[in-house]
Amino acid sequence: MRELADKLLRMDRRVIFVLIALATLIPLLRPIGFPIRISPEVKRIYDHIESLPAGSVFVLSLDFDPASKPELYPMAVALLNHAFKRDLRVVGLTLWVTGTGMAEKVVSGIASEYGKRRGVDYTFLGYSPGGTNVIINMGQDLAATFPTDHYGVRTADLPVMQGVTSLRQVDYVVSLAAGTPGVESWYVYGKEKYGFELGGGVTAVIAPGLYPFLDTGQINGLIGGLRGAAEYETLIGMKGKAVAGMDAQSATHFIIIGLILLCNLFYFLTPGTRIRSFGSAQNSPGSPREAGR
Amino acid sequence: MILFLRRTFPLILTFLFGVAGALQYYIPHPVSEAALTEVSVWLRIILGFAMILGIASLCHVHYAKIRIRAAGWGYSLVVYVSMLATVVIGLWSRGQEEGTGFGWIYTYALLALQGTMFSMLGFFVASAAFRAFRARSKEAAILLVAAVLMMFGRVPLGEYLIPAAGPIAGWLLNVLNTAARRGIIIGISLGGIATSIKIILGIERSYLGGRD
Repeated sequence: MRELADKLLRMDRRVIFVLIALATLIPLLRPIGFPIRISPEVKRIYDHIESLPAGSVFVLSLDFDPASKPELYPMAVALLNHAFKRDLRVVGLTLWVTGTGMAEKVVSGIASEYGKRRGVDYTFLGYSPGGTNVIINMGQDLAATFPTDHYGVRTADLPVMQGVTSLRQVDYVVSLAAGTPGVESWYVYGKEKYGFELGGGVTAVIAPGLYPFLDTGQINGLIGGLRGAAEYETLIGMKGKAVAGMDAQSATHFIIIGLILLCNLFYFLTPGTRIRSFGSAQNSPGSPREAGR
Repeated sequence: MILFLRRTFPLILTFLFGVAGALQYYIPHPVSEAALTEVSVWLRIILGFAMILGIASLCHVHYAKIRIRAAGWGYSLVVYVSMLATVVIGLWSRGQEEGTGFGWIYTYALLALQGTMFSMLGFFVASAAFRAFRARSKEAAILLVAAVLMMFGRVPLGEYLIPAAGPIAGWLLNVLNTAARRGIIIGISLGGIATSIKIILGIERSYLGGRD
């Protein structure tokens, strides 16, 4: 038994890679479509957009690069669909230079599906260097921060920007972020001073870190990872890539859970292993002995 | 004079801008707001120069690797070639992406490469979980149970099999995670305030380059 446990613990990692690849591919090719429960934090963003009257100014800051596209792009698609359905004035921008092309594509792509006119119903301001300072600058003077939009048209002349001179006139901002500058930057340098309502959409890795901001109302809602995007797609009744990806995520999570359980089973089948108690400095996490194992 | 320019003058500037920046927040007077507008523009210009500094530093590091033929110097060559190619094609395309070579590089090189790098993470996490996630101590066992509950509760299949898994994962996120994270945020913020005060008052001077 011990030999078998040892052998399995030393399993070639390529076997695990194949398992994960299959767990991802098969559900994508043959989706099952398990029901998706809507969490309150995602519902709050949906409800806020629902409550905005037509013509309200909605800023979508796409603060991510292609590395986070699988998680954040479906969020952008869902939010833009919702905003255009509600006839909001949509202003897209990005604080991440490598996300510019992708952000422009999604904003203009979804807008064209709804027959929205560039400059009149929506615009994409593009990228402006400066990170968090761009937010302060936008709060002070939006046209000075982005003298022209991504297409070279003077921002101040755009009908969609009429009456909007700074972030103070914006009704709702959602930052879809994969890091910094992102949701926290928009809160610290934007909402806190200029008083607009703020929502966040982030990768699953970042989401747990933003829950304190949710509880205090510093952000009014949070879309976390592919799961959050799938919830939003369900809310707007438009099942897209996120919902399709949830079956794959279910399968991969279960593979990983199975691997962890197997690993522990084999570990405890090996004689002499036991769970150590709390407070043992010698064996505590971070100790040289723990690190060496 | 050199000492003044190297040490005293930056300290005076830091003090003045630090105090003015902090006070500005509490004084919503038009003059104060106009000053913030001006400063925020200058900050962005300075950050533009920081980008130039970053590119220069990147070039320097990789040039040194190529010159001494350090291990993996070929990758440094790739950095140079791809950076120069992107800059030249970007200038040639006048920064436009639609139907240009610059757009092609973005869509078929950068997008694909970054996507691949991030996707590979899932495979390595699975492999690492199998090898390293063991209940060696009670602390590790608690972490393991929490991780399994989270993975179970955050996917539809988990909630379908055990309906309570979702609310349990939500409770872990909203209560336990939030409490720990809040403590970390308060600690970081207090540390940030203390360091800022030390910099403004000239107690912390490491940013001067250690020549005082």
